[in-house]
Amino acid sequence: MGTTGPSSINEQENVQYGMKFPIFTIKDMVNLQLALIDSLEIDQLFSVVGGSMGGMQALEWASSYPERVYSAIPIATSYRHSAQNIAFHEVGRQAIMNDPNWQQGNYYNKEVKPRHGLSVARMIAHITYLSEGAFQEKFGRDMQSKVLSWGFDADFQVESYLRHQGISFVDRFDANSYLYITRAMDYFDLSHSYDGDLSAAFKNTKCKIMIVSFTSDWLFPSSESLAIVKALNKTAADVSFIEVASDKGHDSFLLEVKDFYEILSGFISGAARKKGI
Amino acid sequence: MLNQLNKKLISSLIMNNAKVLDIGCGNGELLYHLEKTKSINGQGIEISPKGVKESVSKGLSVIQGDADIDLVNFPDNTFDVVILSHTLQATHKPREVLIEMLRIGKKCIISIPNFGYWKYRIQMLFFGIMPITRTLSEPWYSTQNIHLCTIKDFINMCESLNVSINEAFRNTTYSIKKINKPNSYMNNLLSIEGIFVLSNNIN
Repeated sequence: MGTTGPSSINEQENVQYGMKFPIFTIKDMVNLQLALIDSLEIDQLFSVVGGSMGGMQALEWASSYPERVYSAIPIATSYRHSAQNIAFHEVGRQAIMNDPNWQQGNYYNKEVKPRHGLSVARMIAHITYLSEGAFQEKFGRDMQSKVLSWGFDADFQVESYLRHQGISFVDRFDANSYLYITRAMDYFDLSHSYDGDLSAAFKNTKCKIMIVSFTSDWLFPSSESLAIVKALNKTAADVSFIEVASDKGHDSFLLEVKDFYEILSGFISGAARKKGI
Repeated sequence: MLNQLNKKLISSLIMNNAKVLDIGCGNGELLYHLEKTKSINGQGIEISPKGVKESVSKGLSVIQGDADIDLVNFPDNTFDVVILSHTLQATHKPREVLIEMLRIGKKCIISIPNFGYWKYRIQMLFFGIMPITRTLSEPWYSTQNIHLCTIKDFINMCESLNVSINEAFRNTTYSIKKINKPNSYMNNLLSIEGIFVLSNNIN
């Protein structure tokens, strides 16, 4: 996942970093991307597009390096992680760190890994990515088989689905990375360096910004996006905002929601026309 | 909705390269026209997601928002021109919206459907029903136009707010004429639309 992380080899000690890996922030991620475009000798990116944590990066770009981005599309995101979002992350991290196989993060060369912890963290997170309506529509009270187990097996399809989501995540994601990345999101607060004045964070931006939220997204609700729009209006920035109707929750930004695609392509082609591309 | 005469007049009132806010920009038709013909730097506010979607798809910068609520977010004198075309009658607090417009725009262009138009009066007088025409096409129970007024009403409101009207025009459906006598009975009777240019006194 990504470039260098806790599972990378610390060359000085010839062993994985684990918890010795430094804490990093959303701004660090953006600085890394900046170093990349510098080395590629790209003066200005035409558009930085991202959803959720990617949206935080898009906002960071527009705020910190406004002259290096022509347009930005932060989707289903916020300028700072809310208390509820931090709370969900904390439960996920506790699940990992309380898995005895986590071993203070030194599991890389061991037989067992904190699979249960990471899997539970993913199950919790997955609930926050959907909406009540999406769950109800997809599963309702549908059963795995016609008879109840009268026990704690996955009787309901929703249980089996979540377990599957959790288990399949473990194979492609490092538990320590999960801790670090969720922490980066928790620490993100664009207004922090400006005494809580978000509009000051966008004071110099000439970037064309389009903010998108989804009606059923309760993890990054539209009110979060509106706070950004308000701050951008205060600086008279070039901003568009739309709340797309979707019942698929936070995950909408990853799914084929028709209106969403049309808006994205409309905005991008409009920006390209203005830029003369 | 927005006829060609109205579009032409509004366009003639806007200088090249101006920073323009269109409140209630609908599908962005006017802003798009102004960007093409006057190279304006345009921004729109539109309440309906469909309108925002169509506007953004034209490459316009439009936020989904509400004239009654969202104007307070803009600093004083942000825009050279603020346009409110056929929207004032759909706001909850037209007076407050007007005051906010004058704060954020150096020049304001407001057009309103004139409820004093003879066709509306006839429907009321002879048929005893709320008027329905091509411009005001929705029946009373589903219309968004909750604060309809006449040209005379609008002028009176400006007077009560001590706002001076720099220029006023009326749309007879065939042509647009300048209003020279604000209190003219005939102007109010024969015009389907009134268009007003106001400017703020904040510098």
